[in-house]
Amino acid sequence: MKNEYIPHPAVIESIQTESFDTRTFKLVFEDKTLAESFNYKPGQFVQVSLLGVGEAPISITSSPSDRGFVELTIRAAGKLTRAIHQVKQGDRIYIRGPYGNSFPVDEVAGKDLYFIAGGIGLPPLRSVIKSVFDRRGDFGKIKILYGAKTPNELCFKEEIKVWKQIDNTEVLLTVDEPDDRWQGNIGVVTKLWDKMDLAVPNGTDMVLPNGVAYVCGPPIMIKFVIEKLLTSGFKDEDIYITLERYMKCGIGKCGHCNIADMFVCIDGPVFTYDHLKKFPDKEGAMT
Amino acid sequence: MNEWMIKKDNVKGLCIKASKQWETYLPLKSIGGDTHFIKLDGSNSEFLDDKLNLEYESLVVPPKFILFPQLESLFRFEGEKIIETVEPVAGKLLFGLRACDVKALNFIDDFFKRNFEDIYYLNRSRDKLLVIVGCKHLLENCFCTSAKTGPFLENGFDLQLVDVGDKYVVEVGSGKGEEFVDTYRDFFTEASKSDLERSKTAKCDAEQAISLKLDFEKAIKRFCEDKVPQQLYERIAQRCIYCGGCLYVCPTCTCFNVFDEPPFLLSKTGTGANLGGRYRNWDACVFEGYTREASGHNPRSEKWIRTSRRYEHKLKYDYLTTGMSGCVGCGRCLSSCPVNIGISQVIEEVAKI
Repeated sequence: MKNEYIPHPAVIESIQTESFDTRTFKLVFEDKTLAESFNYKPGQFVQVSLLGVGEAPISITSSPSDRGFVELTIRAAGKLTRAIHQVKQGDRIYIRGPYGNSFPVDEVAGKDLYFIAGGIGLPPLRSVIKSVFDRRGDFGKIKILYGAKTPNELCFKEEIKVWKQIDNTEVLLTVDEPDDRWQGNIGVVTKLWDKMDLAVPNGTDMVLPNGVAYVCGPPIMIKFVIEKLLTSGFKDEDIYITLERYMKCGIGKCGHCNIADMFVCIDGPVFTYDHLKKFPDKEGAMT
Repeated sequence: MNEWMIKKDNVKGLCIKASKQWETYLPLKSIGGDTHFIKLDGSNSEFLDDKLNLEYESLVVPPKFILFPQLESLFRFEGEKIIETVEPVAGKLLFGLRACDVKALNFIDDFFKRNFEDIYYLNRSRDKLLVIVGCKHLLENCFCTSAKTGPFLENGFDLQLVDVGDKYVVEVGSGKGEEFVDTYRDFFTEASKSDLERSKTAKCDAEQAISLKLDFEKAIKRFCEDKVPQQLYERIAQRCIYCGGCLYVCPTCTCFNVFDEPPFLLSKTGTGANLGGRYRNWDACVFEGYTREASGHNPRSEKWIRTSRRYEHKLKYDYLTTGMSGCVGCGRCLSSCPVNIGISQVIEEVAKI
């Protein structure tokens, strides 16, 4: 029987600063076999730890086609993540997983894809965005809507410039609190809706989108984005949301991430809206 | 299968002899009069005459702690080297369990096997022998006849002892139980027809003695139909002090927290400044911090929502997932509650809806 609680050492190959509180860590497992064989799907997460500090679930931000390394984008938010921000290139960090279900990729071939992220919500979606760009031709148009509080807090700033150059792909950015240099959109991510060629709510010539939406962000953003998606004609089962929860084990044992009869760690973290809306309100799936 | 009997005078000898082969746990009376399941070893076997208490009313702490300790090591580390601490499989004899507690052990066995297997629990649990000594006392807080978890079981045990005066009639519930009787054959004799008659009567009497009767099935049905109003949980929330005691003593609760012991704390004890460990300890879903994320966001910050979770997990979601309720009717939550709330009261009220 495998001991799922034992993490594997990985060395930090490089650290990329995304914003004042967010960094992307590129990790290589010390065990060469594991480094080469480590497979995962976009949307899955790993349990990350520092010995003597603690462990937390972090979604994988690299794409499954990135071989030999794993990337995690981590915001310094709690005890462990703040400690992780103190580690240096060449230091060890401990990983176990991957855990959880994933976003659909093969299943949505031929469709238009809408990615809507807020703040630290883009890193989990980047894994699926990169997977989709690996085979760009298999999908229709791609729209990425990304909002953050300030320009500084937008992740993957350089990479987004590259995404904007990709065929039939549009990236729309917005910030709540612009600085002097910001010339783009201002306001919450739903403010970008006018710039999408989606159906006008209550319009007479409403065309249902042939698309699926991937959503990740703070609960309040998720709530408003879903409202917009529904008015634009998205079906409940075509809206994919990845949830954050406090987790201790990642394998459906510790109980912390339970929602109704499910565990976010094994039955999620990706749920369709069709699924989420069936949970009783008090389960807090949408809050 | 044959039915056997064992003289009460022989139980002590059997347990001492079996303890050479098995890690043996027995209900022993401790200071203050409470009874706890305690491992039989050289230090306490000589006091067995005074301490062995098979007629205890209830164990304050359910036997789950033997397989799922309140605090356990997941691994140690020395510098950056991880040292595994999984216990090797060892035969465990749990002698003198109550039926409800055996039901609960069956329940958590299933849980730790489901999806990912939990090696720490399963290694402790794999080779165990469960011996029920049926309840015969009138207890005011428990309701096994309503929950259909006792006072005697049809299956799920290895041996089941029925008190018939100066001896116990021994029912065999598994091949493992049969093997045990074979191995310690000297302590057992075949049960006579009259023994079996007396056993039947004793079981009936025990059942009669359980005075608290609840419409358990109807309550479960109401929970599953989402018929329980928010006001019911809010009323409990006004009274509950969210100490988590009811969940620590619940025989089916398995939630845990994981934490690291930083190396410097252990340096004082001598063995090297780099030694630390990762542990898990029991946790409770009624705690405010149970679902609080690092960002501060908490999907269950409201008390009544945590109360709802605490009861619906047992009486709705466990039932929907496994076909068995997570409440076995042991009554410990009420016995341990500082403000007199018990799941029995909740069941009673919900059944009236």
